[in-house]
Amino acid sequence: MATRRGFLAGMMAAGLPRIGWAAAGSPDFLAAAKAGEAYELHGLTAAGDSLFAIPLPARGHAAAAHPVRAEAVAFARRPGTFALVIDCVAGTVKARLTPPEGRQFNGHGVFTAEGGLLMTSEVVAEGSLGRIGLWETETYTRIGEWDSGGIGPHDMKRLADGRLVVANGGIETDPKDRSKLNIATMRPNLTLLSPEGAVLEQAVLEEDLHTNSIRHLALMGNRVAFAMQWEGDPAEPVPQLGLWQPGQAPWLCPPGEAEAFAMKGYAGSIAAAQGLVALTSPPGGVLMVFDAAGAPLAVHRRADLSGVAPGPEGLVATDGQGGIWAVEPEGLRLLARHNLSWDNHLVALA
Amino acid sequence: MRKTLALFALLATPAQADVADALRDHILPGYAAFAEAAGELAQAAETSCDPQVLRPAWNAAFDAWMGVSHLHLGPVEEDGRGLAIAFWPDPKGLGWKHQQALMAGDPAALEPAAFADQSVAARGLFGLERLLYPAGDLPADPCPLIRATAADLARMAGEVQAGWQDGFAEVLLTAGEAGNTTYLTAEEAKQALFTQLATALEFDADQRLGRPLGTFDKPRPERAEAAASGRSLRNLVLSLQALRDFAQTLSPDLPQSLAAFDRAIARAEALEDPVFAGVADPSGHLKVEILQQSIRSLRQAVIAELGGQLGVSVGFNSADGD
Repeated sequence: MATRRGFLAGMMAAGLPRIGWAAAGSPDFLAAAKAGEAYELHGLTAAGDSLFAIPLPARGHAAAAHPVRAEAVAFARRPGTFALVIDCVAGTVKARLTPPEGRQFNGHGVFTAEGGLLMTSEVVAEGSLGRIGLWETETYTRIGEWDSGGIGPHDMKRLADGRLVVANGGIETDPKDRSKLNIATMRPNLTLLSPEGAVLEQAVLEEDLHTNSIRHLALMGNRVAFAMQWEGDPAEPVPQLGLWQPGQAPWLCPPGEAEAFAMKGYAGSIAAAQGLVALTSPPGGVLMVFDAAGAPLAVHRRADLSGVAPGPEGLVATDGQGGIWAVEPEGLRLLARHNLSWDNHLVALA
Repeated sequence: MRKTLALFALLATPAQADVADALRDHILPGYAAFAEAAGELAQAAETSCDPQVLRPAWNAAFDAWMGVSHLHLGPVEEDGRGLAIAFWPDPKGLGWKHQQALMAGDPAALEPAAFADQSVAARGLFGLERLLYPAGDLPADPCPLIRATAADLARMAGEVQAGWQDGFAEVLLTAGEAGNTTYLTAEEAKQALFTQLATALEFDADQRLGRPLGTFDKPRPERAEAAASGRSLRNLVLSLQALRDFAQTLSPDLPQSLAAFDRAIARAEALEDPVFAGVADPSGHLKVEILQQSIRSLRQAVIAELGGQLGVSVGFNSADGD
């Protein structure tokens, strides 16, 4: 802790010029999109207006927003060989992150509260053992890595006290073609890391759910909501939502029986706000709303829904037809529609 | 009446010709036929519980369902109706467990309102199949459960038909118009119908054939759909025929897709293996695998040809995975 604090203080003291998000129009969200044949990163307001659109060289997966500076890190799709640090005011690429030899980005990253450190989910290409890559953010230089505590880490979230929770999806993939190599033996977990990267606690699912890959996370205070993707028999009704209070066993939150297959076993994104948890399923074309205790409240249908994130006025979702929606228990309320396709994830700015 | 007139006016709108054609020539008549057949089955069940008497009406209802079973949008998605009408696959045997409890339990659970709240796994066409083609002795007189299930099926079929006729057809037809928050553009309605076709072909290949196929080393003939009634192959053929019909209403000019449909249907009919029992031996397994492959090629042909004509594709995110 002392080392990292000292490092951050040094960075602050260096007094380098920084341009805040206000200069980029103070977006509430970042979202990648495909417009015609071009890929873009957009800054969005809570009302769904686009403040900027910056070209991306290829389709991305998720992005991470620097908490202070108007910088976004856009991660390539898995297996990722690069991530781009984008200056959202100038619209230029400020840095290109390349994982060390034998490592691949796995689609997600998160900054520390002050933004001095970027953490990236990575795998050792051969075997998919998880790593958390560490990058200082003035020059975006690699300064180290941690063990993620499992195979195939995907999403991760930083708790307010600096601890990091990682979704180790459990799937070993072929480094070249993404094919899944260990479905019969996979064992996903949730791993809680200290601010220094030590494994504090791990949670696993019951044996009969060992093929439910834990992939995406949302925080409700210190409680973790996690979203899963089922690799088992699609005819088995399994939950896509779980909740975990570190110190306790995780518990699963199935939907109502009539909606047991609505998500086709696949949750694409998850977000929590104002006592609600929302999960999207692009293949199912649904968004499910649960309360903070995991009880199902509603199912809303909309083709190709994927991104969902907490905004200043509540949860917002995006879809592959350009729609941006306010998520309410009663239904989806259209905020805006753009003539493009919103990509997998919608990223909230703090 | 006014609603029906308004719907007919919309169906004549040329700007939505493909969606309107699919509604007029495929979707609405398909649901009407299913509602009628389910109604006749319920009526027959009122007068007799003899499986020999009811099987023709049950098969007619199942045949009619196959004409629309690929449509997973609108009224059939509400209240779990689609699942309750045809709950398959059911690898854990949930439906039979619930049905045994219902036969042994309080008859009040079979009253229409209470029965509508019973498990989706216990109801519908597959619930009736287990009673009309029982694998062994039934634990109790199935007659009250047969009647309740048939009446419930007819209720759902009627509700789905009414839901389309009095509301959802118009939602599709007015795609892109002010106030339509389901389909924000005309393309979205086409995309929705196109997605039904692509998903249904995937279901035919991956589930209807894929489940009994299992793997070469471990074929699973017992997992074939509706094997007790001997409908496994029939359901596949009826599904392909319905999807061919659906595709034709979406575009009149699909030479490659229709040829691919005809090849797959001919191959299926040539199987002469009504419950895919042949998957248990190597040559039979290979034949069903070849049929599965021809359905996958057919799906690719439809996506390319029809998707190109409609200007839509499978979803940006749903086709991706992370």
